[in-house]
Amino acid sequence: MLAALIVLGIAFQLAGPQILRIFIDAAISGKPLDTLSTTAALYIAVALLCQLIGVLTTYISEKVGWTATNALREDLVGHCLKLDMAFHKEHLPGEMIERIDGDTTALSNLFTKFTVTVLANLLLIVGMAALLLREDIMVGGGVSLFAVIALLVLLRVQALAVPHWVKLRKARAEFYGMLGEQVSSVDEISANGAIPYVMNRFYAMQQQLLRLVTRASFMGYTMWMTTVMVFTAGYALVFSLGWRLWAQGRMTIGTVYLIFTYINYLNGPIEQVREQLEDLQKSSASIRRISGLLGQKNEVSDGEGPALDEGALSLEVQGLSFSYAGDLQVLEDLNLKLEPGRVLGVLGRTGSGKTTITRLLNRFYDPDYGRILIGGRDLRSIPLESLRKRITYVTQDVQLLKASVRDNLTFFDVSVPDGRLIEVLEAIGLDEWLRSLPNGFDTQLSSEGSGLSAGQSQLLALARAFLRKPGFVILDEASSRLDPVTEKLMEGAMDRLLSGRTAMIIAHRIKTLDRADDILILSHGKVLEYGQRKDLLRDPDSQYNRLLKGGMEDMLA
Amino acid sequence: MKTYHLIWRMILYRPWLYLADALTWILIHVFPVVPGLIIREFFDMLVGQSRLGLGIWGLIALLVATATAHIANIAAGALVDIRHRFTMSGLLRRNALESMLASPVAGEAKSTGETVNILEEDAKQVEDVISWSFDMMGMTSFAIVSAVILIGVSPQLTLMVLIPMIFVVMLAQSASGRLERYRRESRKATSLVTEAMGEAFGAVQAIKVANAEDRVTAHLKVLGDRRRDAMLKDKLLSRILDSIFENASRVGTGIILLVAARYLQLGALTVGDFALFVYYLDNVTEFAAFFGNFNVHYRQAGVALARLGSLVKEPKELVENKPLYLVGELPEIRTKVPDEADRLVKLTVKGLTASYLDGEHGIEDVSFELERGTFTAVTGRIGSGKTTMVRALLGLIPRDSGEVFWNWKLVEDPRAFFVPPRSAYAPQVPHLFSDTMRNNILLGIPEGVNLQESIKTAALEEDLADLEKGIDTLIGPKGTKLSGGQQQRTAVARMLVRNAELMVFDDVSSALDIETEKQLWQALADRKDLTYLVITNRWGVIMGADKVLVMNGGRVIAQDTPDELIRTSPELRAILEESGNGGV
Repeated sequence: MLAALIVLGIAFQLAGPQILRIFIDAAISGKPLDTLSTTAALYIAVALLCQLIGVLTTYISEKVGWTATNALREDLVGHCLKLDMAFHKEHLPGEMIERIDGDTTALSNLFTKFTVTVLANLLLIVGMAALLLREDIMVGGGVSLFAVIALLVLLRVQALAVPHWVKLRKARAEFYGMLGEQVSSVDEISANGAIPYVMNRFYAMQQQLLRLVTRASFMGYTMWMTTVMVFTAGYALVFSLGWRLWAQGRMTIGTVYLIFTYINYLNGPIEQVREQLEDLQKSSASIRRISGLLGQKNEVSDGEGPALDEGALSLEVQGLSFSYAGDLQVLEDLNLKLEPGRVLGVLGRTGSGKTTITRLLNRFYDPDYGRILIGGRDLRSIPLESLRKRITYVTQDVQLLKASVRDNLTFFDVSVPDGRLIEVLEAIGLDEWLRSLPNGFDTQLSSEGSGLSAGQSQLLALARAFLRKPGFVILDEASSRLDPVTEKLMEGAMDRLLSGRTAMIIAHRIKTLDRADDILILSHGKVLEYGQRKDLLRDPDSQYNRLLKGGMEDMLA
Repeated sequence: MKTYHLIWRMILYRPWLYLADALTWILIHVFPVVPGLIIREFFDMLVGQSRLGLGIWGLIALLVATATAHIANIAAGALVDIRHRFTMSGLLRRNALESMLASPVAGEAKSTGETVNILEEDAKQVEDVISWSFDMMGMTSFAIVSAVILIGVSPQLTLMVLIPMIFVVMLAQSASGRLERYRRESRKATSLVTEAMGEAFGAVQAIKVANAEDRVTAHLKVLGDRRRDAMLKDKLLSRILDSIFENASRVGTGIILLVAARYLQLGALTVGDFALFVYYLDNVTEFAAFFGNFNVHYRQAGVALARLGSLVKEPKELVENKPLYLVGELPEIRTKVPDEADRLVKLTVKGLTASYLDGEHGIEDVSFELERGTFTAVTGRIGSGKTTMVRALLGLIPRDSGEVFWNWKLVEDPRAFFVPPRSAYAPQVPHLFSDTMRNNILLGIPEGVNLQESIKTAALEEDLADLEKGIDTLIGPKGTKLSGGQQQRTAVARMLVRNAELMVFDDVSSALDIETEKQLWQALADRKDLTYLVITNRWGVIMGADKVLVMNGGRVIAQDTPDELIRTSPELRAILEESGNGGV
């Protein structure tokens, strides 16, 4: 369908100048006015049809292109979201947008335009050459040669310009990166008297940018100048050939005009083929990046055993060691055992490895040595879906989406009834907040959670955990951003969340651990103290007791 | 100020550059008149009606000569236009940045990303519209010149061709509004997709925990489909419009054919004349298309200027005549030599009241005094207004009422006044630049002995020794990533190196471990010559202070020595209790 349209379009485009020739020759030779008028009307009709076909072709090819690239985007997003956290730690969201949407959009051009435009225009050029060859072998040959040389010259000039643009793009990214840093640190710049310094950095970057812009843009203009040169040569060719053949009587004036029109026509197709080849170069880099992304292996492979059992889950950690990407050892030979239904409180200062344990439990990463058993089974044998269904993880970082309250709670799971949501919000004391919203569950939240206090967003994150029926609960400093009133509120909710479940609580305030059965104190990835809370309380020399008395200040000092 | 008014001021910034740009580009656009005439001469020569009598080779030589002149003209126009464009958007960016730094708009409602986007894209749009105005003038000139020539050839035919042209222009204008709307919609649909994508990857951990990878992907598909539909609408309409413009010239040619048939037969019109008509027509159609687009762009430039204006207090600040230093030496950074008046003896704050835009965390009627060489701690729970108070004092946020006196002298413009050598500041969340550690600490002040001293006081020595290139190590996304504590201590060093009379800092120890923190406070306490105003909830720091301000609900509810307050203020005891048992 598309191909037929394209061929038809080309035929019409080629026909236009032919009609002009017939007209001129007819007019010169004094054919009746009627014939001339019919020819003119025919010309207009052909021109209109030509445009109609053009519009149709664009529409169809755009539709095909967008459908295909959207499918690709979807695949990429699905694939990347499932990749392990080590991957996500290295690739920031901005970069992911660029790699998924940016590269795919660059590709969409390939889908929608490249094949269509390049093939169609090449066909058009070949068509013109063929029609001219029919007129005269020298003219046809000359024009074909001209088209080829013109394209080659322009491609060459373009190749010269590309590196300048690459450099410019890099410098621009740096420039705007710098601007962003400056804009976000207004207070410090101003209050430390650094405005002149910042302005000077701005000027210096501008100077550098101006040099690069001048070079790169001028290269762009070179393309135009080259086009003028090439087409002047083309006109000169028509003039000399046309003059000779006309003088020899081998060509009518209409035919000379035909050649002239075709040369003029060549401008468009050559330009488009050149642009598309440039895009192709860009796309090839995109294709490489996209296939690289699709080929990215998940370091965390899905477990192949059966799903986890219902009820509270036990935890056992055996000889666990871990380091991020072969860096510093974060956990070293860690051993733990937690019976179902018990609560483990974890203490340790920043960098002691507390959070790393929770990440390993969630299988964001796999351990280097040793193993973790949940419900008596090696974590690696449990299907990820089942694992994440049965383990709930609440952190101090609350990640909200720019979406409705409902979607923020359920992550687009439409099967959760509103009744259940209300129940959960009541349980953690957010029901009043819910009633204050203009559109209830359909109220849109912004991504930074504006309109929500830090405490409220943390409660919202907790509500997500409540929506499921986990057998193991992990709270990683989940109450750190709460004010005392909200925290009290949450304490009550916590009792309900933890009842009949195994839990691991990483504490910000030592008081939070009053409910713990066992206490683990970590230092530099190793166990400093581990035992039942009541035993530690009894022992006056225990670290835990020292912490309770002296506050965390003295800890490990 | 109206759009044209602002643009006029920008033109006046470098009037000669503007004029040079305009002249070269008008010439460039009028030039195609010449090849048109040469082509006519060629066809007329074929039928023996040559006007110039140059012969075929003379004509070709003329063609090449004029083309060469045209190329030279383009080269000159390119250089002038590149420089002019850069100057125009550069001025907007420069003035916006300086104004944002010197007196930010209250509220700070815009995210960094949005602000940078405005500085980049909107300034570019204004630059475009100024540069395109030359194309506009050039094309108009071409249209006039070619119309005069064509009327000379055949007035009737010219009229017959121009009427459809006018029709096309009107059509373009009537459709441009709709195209603009479709474009806005497709852009919005696109940004919804990219935003959602960014959020999904930003919240990837939460998504994994919720087992929601597939659902999020499905949600993105819905947004993607909407974007495709919006895009198709946009593309279809713009293709149809393009097509109408293109077609106008074809149909115009058809009309020429219809009318010219009789003239050609009568011999009133030569084949050369006919070629001339068709050639000019192509160029005039381009003008019509451009004219329609230009109107859209002019309106968009108005919106862009309004957005740029929203970054600063007064839009006219954007177009002020300030140096850009595009070439040559940069201005010297002068550091103020402290004089007697700068020496702090006593700082007095009276009835300071300020509110944040959303009404939360405001402060009310805060009064206190600071003596030279003392250490004052500000304490209070989250949301009690500590940070707001300090920022209002330094003039970083606007105040509603209240006065600040430096040595009994009223401070008129606190933002301009509270800078080194009088005061220096380290905020709670420090911002560092992608640059060397040295530049990050110094921020342009000359390097002296106090650099080493400040680094030592800030407990940064060991960290620098661990860095690959020491103080010349590049930090930031492309260099070494500093830990939260290292960043805070760098900010402290940055503050200390300024040798200011008053050091103001905000809870710098929240990301420090105990040992490092002790080291830092000890070193600060040893420098008895300095005056400190410090926000903290740390037991040790509060107890070591000369004076403590306890804040609650935006007010100072108690102020005295720590020993006194520990007895009299239940709030302070509660705070100490909490922080004593908290904060690892």
